[in-house]
Amino acid sequence: MDSDIILVIVVATALAFDFTNGFHDTANAVATSISTRALAPKTAVGLSAILNFVGAFISIKVAATVAGGIVDADQITTTVIFAGLIGAITWNLVTWYFGLPSSSSHALIGGVVGAAFAATGPDAIFGGALLEKVIVPALVAPVVAFVTAGACILITYRLVGRLRPGSVNRGYRLGQIVSASLLSLSHGTNDAQKTMGIITLALIAHGSLSGPSPDPPTWVIVSAATAIAAGTYIGGWRIIRTMGSKIYKMDPAQGFAAQGGGAAVLLTASHLGFPLSTTHSITGAVLGAGAAKRLSAVRWGLAGNIAVAWALTLPAAAAVGAITYGVSRIFGTGALGPLLICVCLLALMAAMFGKRLRHGPPVATAAADT
Amino acid sequence: MIATDSAALLELVWAAPLAAVIVVVAWGMVVYGTARAGEARRDGRTASAALNFGVAAIGGVLFTTAIVIGLIVMTSKG
Repeated sequence: MDSDIILVIVVATALAFDFTNGFHDTANAVATSISTRALAPKTAVGLSAILNFVGAFISIKVAATVAGGIVDADQITTTVIFAGLIGAITWNLVTWYFGLPSSSSHALIGGVVGAAFAATGPDAIFGGALLEKVIVPALVAPVVAFVTAGACILITYRLVGRLRPGSVNRGYRLGQIVSASLLSLSHGTNDAQKTMGIITLALIAHGSLSGPSPDPPTWVIVSAATAIAAGTYIGGWRIIRTMGSKIYKMDPAQGFAAQGGGAAVLLTASHLGFPLSTTHSITGAVLGAGAAKRLSAVRWGLAGNIAVAWALTLPAAAAVGAITYGVSRIFGTGALGPLLICVCLLALMAAMFGKRLRHGPPVATAAADT
Repeated sequence: MIATDSAALLELVWAAPLAAVIVVVAWGMVVYGTARAGEARRDGRTASAALNFGVAAIGGVLFTTAIVIGLIVMTSKG
């Protein structure tokens, strides 16, 4: 009975993470398009939500392990997964609250690493793999994207700089719709898979699925796709505003250079087997496209805050994951601990959303006005 | 494992910017060609309009190819 309840809690928490992943990462695909008026805000998040949903069905080759190769797979239990998810959700909510883009994948890895550390100690963590698969790409992605988008915007201005702004802006707005669509599809393919993988793992641990690498059941695919699409449609407007207009006021050519260049970097990296964070790549590209035009146009203080959030993602999510695991185990190995933690998390979410709704105008309106 | 990833990293450093530049130049050709073709057509310069339309068409083919490659990368990974 207890294992059934824990399974339900893990599935619900995984879908909640998927939802926060969607609304947290909406900005990567649509922020520049909204900022340059290539798409109306609601149209942008609607299109992105549909493509995230479709993307979730493109590939269902789920990972065999959460944080595969980084954490000893034998040490991953449903409680560790649950604690890792809570760490990731908490960090997603905190960064959303402050309007800072950060990697949901790194938050999930951090959460699972912290929970596994609390469960079995340092032997469960493969430090070399953590460095190779998470830390090095986290340093590489923004730098490559920054330089690439900088080069792209300089080439773009060279190509079309002497043409009438009206037709150029229309052209690049159209290009942004294509690049935003590609990024949304790519996001759905990548990130919904993680949730499918988590739920599949939980089903295997529960004994509901068997086999060395079983495909996720249809209800898992549909629910993961729906959760990420719903999160995307709700839209993390605070982060959209940060990426779209707070870093600097971008023109359509800059928006396309950031988004198109960023997408090309991401897909090339994926093709080479060196997957990079979408958030790190697109944010780096946004900064690069702004800095190449005029260095002083970029709000470097805000860029610094984003960098600090990136640096804190892994340790902060790990700390929450470890604490969650510890608190959960105080109540034994049953479902009581995870249930109480879920109630606390729901209360925290209600408080944060409530506070944000009470203060200030809807960011959607502000984004549309910029 | 680390050697393989270092090789991928080095390849990424030149291949990713190259892919991005191809995408941006391709769409730039579409924007440039379309805008210049429109101006030429309004001025009655038919040959120039056709030439610029050709530039836009080549850019469009390149850009579409890049999108298709992106979709193939997306669907073939795993």
